[in-house]
Amino acid sequence: MPTDPKTDQTVPILQALLARTALKDRAAFTQLYEHTAPQLLAVALRIVRRRDRAEDVLQDAFVNVWHHADSYAASLATPMTWLTSITRNKALDLLRHVKTADHANLDDSELALENLPDDRAEPSRLLDAGMAQMHVQQCMASMSAPQRQALALAYFHGLSHSELALQLASPLGTVKAWVRRGLDKLKTCLEARGAV
Amino acid sequence: VNYDRLELLNRLAAEYVLGTLRGGARRRFVAVQRDNARARRVVLAWQERLHPLALALPAVEPRKQVWTNIETALGFIADKQDDTLSTGKLNWRKIFSWGAGFGISAVAGVLLSLAVLLSNPGLLGLEPKTDGLPASYVGLLTNSEGKAAVLASSRRQGKLLSVKVLAPFVVPAGSVAQLWALPAQGAPFAVGTVPASGKGSIVLNDSAEKLFSNVQRLGVTIEPAAVAQGAPPAALPQAFVLTGHCTKLW
Repeated sequence: MPTDPKTDQTVPILQALLARTALKDRAAFTQLYEHTAPQLLAVALRIVRRRDRAEDVLQDAFVNVWHHADSYAASLATPMTWLTSITRNKALDLLRHVKTADHANLDDSELALENLPDDRAEPSRLLDAGMAQMHVQQCMASMSAPQRQALALAYFHGLSHSELALQLASPLGTVKAWVRRGLDKLKTCLEARGAV
Repeated sequence: VNYDRLELLNRLAAEYVLGTLRGGARRRFVAVQRDNARARRVVLAWQERLHPLALALPAVEPRKQVWTNIETALGFIADKQDDTLSTGKLNWRKIFSWGAGFGISAVAGVLLSLAVLLSNPGLLGLEPKTDGLPASYVGLLTNSEGKAAVLASSRRQGKLLSVKVLAPFVVPAGSVAQLWALPAQGAPFAVGTVPASGKGSIVLNDSAEKLFSNVQRLGVTIEPAAVAQGAPPAALPQAFVLTGHCTKLW
């Protein structure tokens, strides 16, 4: 019975599956994969941009999860945060090793931005989503457009500062400032909402 | 603590999680996290801030092959694939394993005869030489602090599993402590319920040998109601409160 890894109700389920995976319960590991792999593949795919590479990242990530699930509890993270960190770090590592210098094909960065909030248009979607997701999306919406775009490109596509400068056709210093202020704004906004 | 240093830590953690911290700076910051609990906490806070963004992406179903690759990489299905590869050719590994199998059967035959003799010492007029434990399955379950909490044991061919609670644990009113067997392959299955203190016994549907020969670990979860013996966990499984190895004692 696959559940949506986005909702708060799934947190205890994923925690239990991780705890069982730490004990080498293969059935739990299989369920963990079924529940979370599609969402994690989406994360990897944006960063490495090729399906075969993204699936390699996913494979690496889950092999890692099997071996290190026992360190999950000590991390104190929510399950999807922990799994997303492992997947993104693997994807960023791969990106450094393969020279995919073509950042011309970033049309779908707009798609990522489209997925950012519009609570008037899709109230039901926001109800379904976890609270954390709702908060971060609304805080992203409160930023200036260049700040939001710089953060979205860096987060979803794994762009470095210099790649952001190229992509946004702006000086490196300006882009760095957008990123820094965007992050500051996000932190302040989330703290004001009583989120993390 | 120096405010500037805290601010620097915050900035590094934010750009590390975002992904814009690169190269040597990224590697150095990974090293800092290993030894520094404060750095890990700040990184975690940024992960919890940013990673909910990832949930906005539309999910992409991986191809079936990805899961097969994972199982192969972890050695779950290595042998199966080996056999498929060698179909149609002389499989020396298989022939060797048959040969080894015969060898093992021969040794097993000798051991069986020995076992028969030892359990019926009268046959050859032998007297028992030791007071060793009978052939049994034994599980010692520990709690989250690593302290021995439950001892479970059964004769190899017996149908009664004895359970002794070594360290009492909390079972909330209206719940039961459910014992599970975790086989090397496949889903865990329910064995029976464990008392919160003292001793108990679980009647097995089959001999311990049939049930536990392939079981490597045991675990206890707190469930709202007892689960029928042999049944798998519910779709929404609970975390284990006690776990331990299941060992053959012979």
